[in-house]
Amino acid sequence: MDDKVAIVGIEYSQGDDLGLTRERLCFRTVRGVLDKLGIDRHAIDCFILASNDFLEGRTISNVFEDGPVGAYLKDETKVEMDGINAVVYGALRILEGNYDTAMVIAHSLCGHQVSPYLQVQYSLDPTYDRQLGLLNELSGAALQARAYLRSRGLDEGWLDRAAAAALANGAANDMVTRSLDGADESKVASSSYLYEPLREMHCYPPTDGACAIVLASAGRARELTDRPVWIRGFGSSIDSYYFAGRDLTRSASAADAARRAFAMAGISDPASEIGLAEVSDLFAYQAPLLAASMGLADADEAPRRFAEGGFGKDARLALNPSGGALSAHPVCATGAVRVAEAFRQLRGEAGAVQAGEPRLALAHGQDGLCLQQNTVVVLGI
Amino acid sequence: MGEGKKDFRVVSGAWELSGFNFRVEGRGMRLMMRGMKEGKFTGIRCGSCNMVYLPGPFYCRKCLVEIDEPVDVSDHGTIRSFTATMSDIRGNPLAEPQIALMVQLDGCDSWIMGVLRDVDWREVRIGQRVKVRWKPPEERTGSLQDMDCFEYE
Repeated sequence: MDDKVAIVGIEYSQGDDLGLTRERLCFRTVRGVLDKLGIDRHAIDCFILASNDFLEGRTISNVFEDGPVGAYLKDETKVEMDGINAVVYGALRILEGNYDTAMVIAHSLCGHQVSPYLQVQYSLDPTYDRQLGLLNELSGAALQARAYLRSRGLDEGWLDRAAAAALANGAANDMVTRSLDGADESKVASSSYLYEPLREMHCYPPTDGACAIVLASAGRARELTDRPVWIRGFGSSIDSYYFAGRDLTRSASAADAARRAFAMAGISDPASEIGLAEVSDLFAYQAPLLAASMGLADADEAPRRFAEGGFGKDARLALNPSGGALSAHPVCATGAVRVAEAFRQLRGEAGAVQAGEPRLALAHGQDGLCLQQNTVVVLGI
Repeated sequence: MGEGKKDFRVVSGAWELSGFNFRVEGRGMRLMMRGMKEGKFTGIRCGSCNMVYLPGPFYCRKCLVEIDEPVDVSDHGTIRSFTATMSDIRGNPLAEPQIALMVQLDGCDSWIMGVLRDVDWREVRIGQRVKVRWKPPEERTGSLQDMDCFEYE
């Protein structure tokens, strides 16, 4: 896709406990991106929210948020999925031609308001899996982790090294407000088992966070910024809820989502064309699994290279220089944060975690157990 | 009955969601409670559009700017709408219908809800003037319960 819809501004924050109410967090984030662009809320044609009602503790939760996000008496809808899908939705609204600007605002208070891990229980089949009481987000991830380790000939020590590599990136990122300094292999290895083989530091941390992204049509984008980041392609795909027939050692739906996004972006050789990838790696084994599934890296080589820091900011492909979701996972905002990280990398504004001068970047978000649903957005300048 | 009647059975389930720690901005609510203990209302005005909210939020939803200017709001107002509630929130019938009001207090743009007493619900009309009946000062604790009910002016 050529220059049709662009991201013109971002604002985000994430940390264990940002010390804010949800309303204050939404207000601050939206106000922040509006101020950066020098516009008020009336310059926004439509608002698209992303959050999770279970995690908010109130249903149809966007009805409470029209005020603090600036959507009062505006066109507002909500995506009850990862925020990257709200970015895609915003792009579609602009491509459709009736909107010139769209504000995506994704948010989560899993750092202090509610514990996120076991909520996935409520997305399970109530007549079987929920009755059985064995499956949840952590046990599902543990099953997938073990299958992945076995398939690639890796031991548990690899999980420690992979997590330490991700957390070291996060510690260098000033957009992650967690104290992760010194999260080395031994510290990871000494954290408690949650669901074996997964230890606490192999799993995403409970996180507060919000991310606002302003999208604009080509004409409007050039008025709002001299450095628009163009959306080149996007794709989504969903695998079966049921595990039977799923190959847990890769993600068929991530592969399919990426294939669609690359086709739209005119990318034939993603491994050589994509310079930066930000994937939503909720657990330590997921970044290399996703990179391989999406055709960005060799399936056998990727896990070892990732754990050795071989996808660092100086590598030809930088994979999660931000620290990824393993460093901060504000559920529902995480995929939007991946888009925001890609935005500032493409503009050369990523500070200490800047990964060279990427021209094409991939952002990824996921929902469901064991990477069931995946969405990929390709961005370029 | 449907043809599949014999092909299913019913599995009972319940949704007991987790506990939550809901944070709220305290300032607007604190201002309101503090005033109520003294038998008056305090809201917050937007310096940009002059909209007055009770209880006051930290931002104006029209202007999307922070607001913090306390302003007195009358305890007299006008009924904007009402309903006679025939059952409680669990659906249990009430012996006597309760009249739930939506009132716009003088000097305030947002509306508050309250109960109207000592009136036959069939006689209530939109536009009727009402005032707050406060609890006696010694019974007030600085909470929403300090407001006993509404009554006709």
